[in-house]
Amino acid sequence: MIRLIAVLSLILIGGSSFAHQFTPTYPRFSSSFIEGVVVTEMRLFNRRDDVEYYQVSVFDSEWNPIEFATENKIVRIGYLQTKPIHVYVNKKIVRKVVYICTESKLMKTGGVAPVVSSRICSKVKS
Amino acid sequence: MSMLNIRNFIILGVVSATSWATAANEVQISGNVASKCTIYTSTNGIYGNPTADVLSTATADGGTPAVIRYDVVNAGTYKAVITTPVSFSTSPSLNDTLAWTGSAAVSEVTDASMSAYDSSKRVFDNVTEFDLTIAGTVWFGAESKVEYGYGKSLPGGSYKAVVTAECIAL
Repeated sequence: MIRLIAVLSLILIGGSSFAHQFTPTYPRFSSSFIEGVVVTEMRLFNRRDDVEYYQVSVFDSEWNPIEFATENKIVRIGYLQTKPIHVYVNKKIVRKVVYICTESKLMKTGGVAPVVSSRICSKVKS
Repeated sequence: MSMLNIRNFIILGVVSATSWATAANEVQISGNVASKCTIYTSTNGIYGNPTADVLSTATADGGTPAVIRYDVVNAGTYKAVITTPVSFSTSPSLNDTLAWTGSAAVSEVTDASMSAYDSSKRVFDNVTEFDLTIAGTVWFGAESKVEYGYGKSLPGGSYKAVVTAECIAL
């Protein structure tokens, strides 16, 4: 009974919680309108009303950063909004790309500062 | 039968036939289950101050551990990585060493076999990794403790530190 109450409490707490979602899990690059550059479209969903900014980053298999281009590397996204993120990579180095990540950026000052930063990484499978 | 009646009879027949055809149509409901991971911040942690030189999120020390919920749609597609803090993001000026300890563990599960996550987790430095091998929801609790100097009193003020919860595709 106590366990049931605990689970229900957590579900209720979960209902009012903050979520971060980044899809697809396994993106694929395709040709872009720029010659020699490939692109993939990711989708970021923000259900954290305490977070307004997310940072986009791209890494290789050893978590070394890889050069890429996107509309904004720091994405401003409102609460309950979904935003497409286009990640452009030079075709010559696209084989190195393994992880595409978004990380919540927390405000250091103002209001009640959150203490949990979230990061979700999708994997490019070759 | 007058011309008017014949016309009404034909119209009625056409309407009936159309209605029957519509009723026979199949209505499809389509959906797509895509792999994804969602991180929820269920509870932001709170530091308790059991002694002058210690801040701790342990319940026994008057604190509240951070609770992070992970939802995964497909089994075996993600790992959870929880990093406990090794520095304050906000604090008064500190001039002595800080000794940090932290841990992450399964707090609640929606599938009994998820309890095995604790026995198969990997811990290094201040990082704990869990392979999310079962689809569904799991809650992880993250605890953090810091001791200041050698029994030195922490200066008064506001202290904040950041737990990082990651979901990495496998």
